[in-house]
Amino acid sequence: MSGPALIPRISLTWLLAAQALVIIPHLLHVPTWLIPLWLVCGGWRIQIFRQRADYPRGWVKALLLVGVTAGVLLSHGTVVGLDAGVTLLLATFVLKLLEMKRQRDAQVLIYMGFFVVVTAYLFEDSLLSFAYSLLPISCLTAALIGLQQSRFNQRPWATWRLAAGLLLQALPLMLLLFVFFPRIGPLWSMPTPDVARTGLAESMSPADVAELSRSSELAFRATFDGPIPAKERLYWRALTLDDFDGRRWSQSSINRRANVFEPPWQKQGEVLDYQILMQPTGQPWLFALDVAEPAADVGRLQVDFRVQSAVPVEQAQLYRLQSWPEAVRQPQLPDVLRRLNLRLPSGFDPRTRAWAAELRQQYPDDQALVLALLQHFNREPFHYTLRPPVLGQHSNDEFLFATRRGFCAHYAGAMVVVLRAAGIPARVVAGYQGGEVNQTGNYLLVHQFDAHAWVEYWRPGKGWQSVDPTFEVAPERIEFGLEEALADEGSFLEGDLLAGARLRNIPLLNQLRLAWDELNYNWQRWVLGYQGEQQLRWLQSWLGTVDWQRLGLTLVAAVALLLMVLATWLLKPWQARPPAQQRYLQQVERLLAHLGVQRQTGEGARRFSQRAQVAIPAQAAVIKAFFQEYERQVFAGEQVDELALRAACQRLRRALPWWQRWR
Amino acid sequence: MLDTLEKAIASINHVVLGKEQQVRLAVACLLARGHLLIEDLPGMGKTTLSHALAKVMGLSFQRIQFTSDLLPGDILGTSVFDKNSGQFVFHPGPIFAELVLADEINRATPKSQSALLEAMEEGQVTIEGSTRPLPEPFFVIATQNPVSSSGTFALPESQLDRFLMRLSLGYPSPAAEKNLLMGVTRRELMQNLQPVLNHAQLATLQAEVPKVQAREAVIDYVLRIAEASRAQPQFAYGLSPRGALALLAAAKAWALLAGRAYVIPEDVQSVLPAVVGHRVRQQADASGHGGAALVQWLLREVPAL
Repeated sequence: MSGPALIPRISLTWLLAAQALVIIPHLLHVPTWLIPLWLVCGGWRIQIFRQRADYPRGWVKALLLVGVTAGVLLSHGTVVGLDAGVTLLLATFVLKLLEMKRQRDAQVLIYMGFFVVVTAYLFEDSLLSFAYSLLPISCLTAALIGLQQSRFNQRPWATWRLAAGLLLQALPLMLLLFVFFPRIGPLWSMPTPDVARTGLAESMSPADVAELSRSSELAFRATFDGPIPAKERLYWRALTLDDFDGRRWSQSSINRRANVFEPPWQKQGEVLDYQILMQPTGQPWLFALDVAEPAADVGRLQVDFRVQSAVPVEQAQLYRLQSWPEAVRQPQLPDVLRRLNLRLPSGFDPRTRAWAAELRQQYPDDQALVLALLQHFNREPFHYTLRPPVLGQHSNDEFLFATRRGFCAHYAGAMVVVLRAAGIPARVVAGYQGGEVNQTGNYLLVHQFDAHAWVEYWRPGKGWQSVDPTFEVAPERIEFGLEEALADEGSFLEGDLLAGARLRNIPLLNQLRLAWDELNYNWQRWVLGYQGEQQLRWLQSWLGTVDWQRLGLTLVAAVALLLMVLATWLLKPWQARPPAQQRYLQQVERLLAHLGVQRQTGEGARRFSQRAQVAIPAQAAVIKAFFQEYERQVFAGEQVDELALRAACQRLRRALPWWQRWR
Repeated sequence: MLDTLEKAIASINHVVLGKEQQVRLAVACLLARGHLLIEDLPGMGKTTLSHALAKVMGLSFQRIQFTSDLLPGDILGTSVFDKNSGQFVFHPGPIFAELVLADEINRATPKSQSALLEAMEEGQVTIEGSTRPLPEPFFVIATQNPVSSSGTFALPESQLDRFLMRLSLGYPSPAAEKNLLMGVTRRELMQNLQPVLNHAQLATLQAEVPKVQAREAVIDYVLRIAEASRAQPQFAYGLSPRGALALLAAAKAWALLAGRAYVIPEDVQSVLPAVVGHRVRQQADASGHGGAALVQWLLREVPAL
């Protein structure tokens, strides 16, 4: 290398632009001190380029590094872990500007940039963020081109266009690797960013559900292999709450433990095949219709018929399930569970208990009692509202006999208390109900405001039966959704003015919203979710059985095919190969051009030869020999003798120093 | 044979000082059986060149001074009644010479001009119904003054095309001019000039020209030049197929002069200014004398290989 290779202006420009684009998506979660640091470093580097400033001295760099480390420690309390690590990476990415002296340094910076772009996916992997990341990637590529190609100097857009073109050309290879490359699980557990999430929690009080009902965030999407069942059949179980402390419902200790045993159940009736893409919840349970049979790698059916994954769902997760809605659930109830599902805290709700005893006397049959209770909710002036009055110590007493205003959590909780007091094992099921149908995509969108609680009670021999007291009070909540149920009250999503779901009354906007959601759904399903089971199934549909040997062979064959297509396109073998003389002339021209003698467009062979002989006297004889041979063959019509030309070309090549030969 | 030719050129150069390139081109023009247009100021040696060429090549020489009252009969000749024989006897005009110098051709009326130009094209003249062949070889050197244009009839493009080459002699170099001033007068030199070639030798040489090989690579180059002159916007009009043929013929003569049996792109380039200069016109140039810039463009931009 001749002297220190400086960084061309064009490369620096694109590098700074790319750096800005790379950092922008990170601004949401990095500490604010990084922004002034970045601006100062960028400004400093520009001043260095304008020769108004010098590179920082060693002690300044050391000071900056110590400062940055201290900053990370102060902001995150640690220098390891995802957030702290990314902050540290960004800080070094910015600081590296200050010691970017030579092309090699700029290359390091550019490669770092690519890495930082990838780390952004840890925080956000939506379609939009992917589309956005094409921008910094193309700019980084442009910076890389600007570093190497002097002829692009002063032409930033040409550089960028070339970069974009290169990325476009890499697309087929990318797709190929995407389809075939085996997804190897991480060797260490992937750290996940700390994000506050909305969703169901392990315990439930009415206030929690009311809180959820105000959120228009997506909970999950479901695609059915057949038609989407009617809404009143879509009770998505998340978890079962069988422990009541007088205020809150929560999971009992047996229930909470994973994999105690699988409850006995009998498949019966129709079967539903569906696929669910759930948003990260940070919880291990999965959403399913009763009674689901999950594949081994998805999760396991728990003692309370919930489906639980082995690890908490920290990223969007795609899984397939089969459900038998009419299955008989646990026809024989073990004593432990029976006791558990009859337990009530002492000292609460005396009036409710008395009323339950009354009902029991009136209706000795369990079934009749449940029906009577449901009718009670239906006939008495109960009112469905998201703005219930505050309840005191004996919440169920107050609710059942005084206020009579509430929503699903109130009705379900109160009903279970009554049933238990009457000696019928019962529990609250928490999950989601219904969903919004995306007609064009033919899938179901379930939002947080679809959160619901209902009741299941146990009948000897028949197993667990689901009933929904809310249906008796506000059937429109079940049949049409929460918005319809709250039409009079106007409390639907009242805390969330900008929620997309509020726009559903404007048809065009609603269509756009659903189309956008479909796009995102497909992105998550087919791109992000394309791994493990999904990948295997897709490959199986194309290749039959899938083993690694076959997969590897297919990958190699596909890459070879792709390269062949590309090579055909680039080399264009259907075009006649230029005659030998022309090829050797081009070779010699390249050699001579490297020695500083370039043939002009309008320059003939003889004149060029003379000029080259004068310019490179050391090789004059060899140059003359080649061009004489060339002239003899091309213009004098002598026998075309490729070998003679090649020999002359070789002589010229050999006459050059070895490092100039292969150009 | 070539040595003789070189000797002839050397003899001409002895009279016309410091114009080797132009002399060589003039000889090439003669060998390619083309006609020559010399465009220059008076007193630049146009007549001397023509005369010397005629002498050295052993050609009979006639000079026609074109004026506005010149009639076609003054060029071609007329039939005069002979009392003695009682018949009309044809008196051949000055055109019946092997080398005709048409001086200041643009001063004559188009009618007279066309009489000469037709003769150049056909190689024969038709007078009073009878066709009379012109001598062989037949070589016309026309001159015109590019500066004083009043009272002249500029040659139209179609007529310019009949000339294989257009030359401009230009001022001599100081050294050549010093020799000119110090030496004996041209007239005396001219008288001492001996023919170097005879008719047979000249005819043989002229017959050699078409035999010079032009391989595909050179033909392609000529085609590229023609194509460029037709496609580029700065050309008012491009090179005609006749122009392309002329270019190739001149290049062959040039190669022959260089002692080569094949044409190389450098030959085409050497004759390009003389052959193409008067056949193209710049879009912005109305007078038609600015072909040189276009020729330079062609030399520079058209790929030679």
